[in-house]
Amino acid sequence: MIRTVVAAAGTAVVLSMLWVGFGPGDPHAVDLSNRLAGPSFAYPLGTDHLGRDLATRLVVGALPSLSAVMIVLTGGLGLGLLAGSLIALAPSPLRDGAQWLAETALAVPTLVTALVLSALFGAGVLTVAAALLVTSWAPYALTIGALFDRVRGQSYWKATRALGSTDMAAIRRHMLPNVWPALGALAGADAGRAIVLVASLGFIGLSADTGRPEWGAMIHEYRVFLFTEPRLVLAPIVTCTVVTVLLHLLLDRSALR
Amino acid sequence: MATAAAHLLGRLALSWLAVVAVAFVLLRFMPGDPVDVFLAHVNVRSGPETVAAYRAQWDLDGSLAAQFGRWLVGFATFDWGVSFETGRPVAADFVARLPYSAAIGFGGMALAVAGGFGLGFLAAHRPGGVADVLSRGLAVAGQALPAFAVGVVLLWVFGVRLRWIDAFGGSLVERLLLPTLLVAFFSMGSMARLARAGFGDVKRSPYYRTALAKGRSDAGALWRHGWAAGFLTLIAGLAPELAWVVGGTAIAEIVFGVPGLSERVVQAVNHRDYVVIQAYVALVALWVALVLQGARLVRRSLDPRLS
Repeated sequence: MIRTVVAAAGTAVVLSMLWVGFGPGDPHAVDLSNRLAGPSFAYPLGTDHLGRDLATRLVVGALPSLSAVMIVLTGGLGLGLLAGSLIALAPSPLRDGAQWLAETALAVPTLVTALVLSALFGAGVLTVAAALLVTSWAPYALTIGALFDRVRGQSYWKATRALGSTDMAAIRRHMLPNVWPALGALAGADAGRAIVLVASLGFIGLSADTGRPEWGAMIHEYRVFLFTEPRLVLAPIVTCTVVTVLLHLLLDRSALR
Repeated sequence: MATAAAHLLGRLALSWLAVVAVAFVLLRFMPGDPVDVFLAHVNVRSGPETVAAYRAQWDLDGSLAAQFGRWLVGFATFDWGVSFETGRPVAADFVARLPYSAAIGFGGMALAVAGGFGLGFLAAHRPGGVADVLSRGLAVAGQALPAFAVGVVLLWVFGVRLRWIDAFGGSLVERLLLPTLLVAFFSMGSMARLARAGFGDVKRSPYYRTALAKGRSDAGALWRHGWAAGFLTLIAGLAPELAWVVGGTAIAEIVFGVPGLSERVVQAVNHRDYVVIQAYVALVALWVALVLQGARLVRRSLDPRLS
């Protein structure tokens, strides 16, 4: 039941994005004769203080957030798998080193890292993704390490090894299917964190290009209209929240139960 | 016990040194020499001796290891360097700002613990009831909503619509109330869920049923026999929240214009003021390491099986 609702909501979001993205709107088109117009057919969510189409800006503003999510998920999963295999299978000094590194990385506050990295490399999606990666690989690694350890005690693992399968084949066939559900839950939380962090840095003014639409930067830009045109501020907040929840439900199967 | 404490202290020092050293090296390998940037900024035509003098003054001469050693000694003796941007000592600046950050952080966490504990108790008392749904909603909101957006909305509702609080011009308490609420909002949901899990365990235990059989009411039995269990699970979850509260206070300070530590650091990021950033990283790393290792120590003394 919930799954159908989520699927329907996701499809609706994607369809509306496509319609707006390939529709008439240009996120930068300024139309001062049409400032702060209410929702209409041409402007599904109305226009902002410069007469720009709010809906188009929202859809284009998804780009930085979603690319950060992509980088964080692939990078975190890759690094986590690598370090997790080390924790589970490597000889003692390497194993302890990886474990210590993961536990230390786990304690690094993400926003602080993002601030420092923005000072170092300039602001942008890559900086945000890097800041998240500093911490996000660690839970994957520790979870994978612990689960691999547990699987190694199982008789089917010993049987596979006794039958002479290679390391890679055994890991793919018997280890990975065991860790996917746990990793999905982590990935769901990570995706949400990435979106929120991109928006937070955009709000502070540390997004790559303040002219380009970005949800956090939009909330910052429109915050002065909170009292007169709450629609302008609420639209990016709601979009951000809905996408975060959808991604979470999509990646974390257990959340649907 | 003494050796365990020494072991923990060693781990703490090692983690802190690793993080601080990485930050130090990264900051030194930055594009843009601070001396050049500064001299260009003040518009001074400079000879090599001027540059050398500034290098010496800002501890930028000598090898990297020597610089790091000098910085460590300086940090230990509260000589945290001088801000490139303002020319004031960083330590004095931070000491003046720390009370604001600490008030928001600790106040928010205390509020989250108290509220989360109560909400968790009510949620466990009546699963599926109002408190249960509310705590679940708070937990999801804490994950999915951007903190700054919630801050802006809080400002709108309490500062503009209801006019209960003068968030920028009022008394100290008035100015710190909303940021504290913001920090509390983002921890209360997960705190409530943790407390609920602890209380839920008690509800399934035989001694709870015995208490019911003795004639205690549902709520009375759960409170009398469950508050310790609920509190213990909450303490376990508190450590990471406390360690991470720095990020939460940063957002609150920025949105509400509180002159705290993180607000200063955002300025420093924009001006590439590395002395400030380095001191901030060292402080945050120290805080996180202290909280996590301290929590480990507390858990071990409460439950000897862990060591």
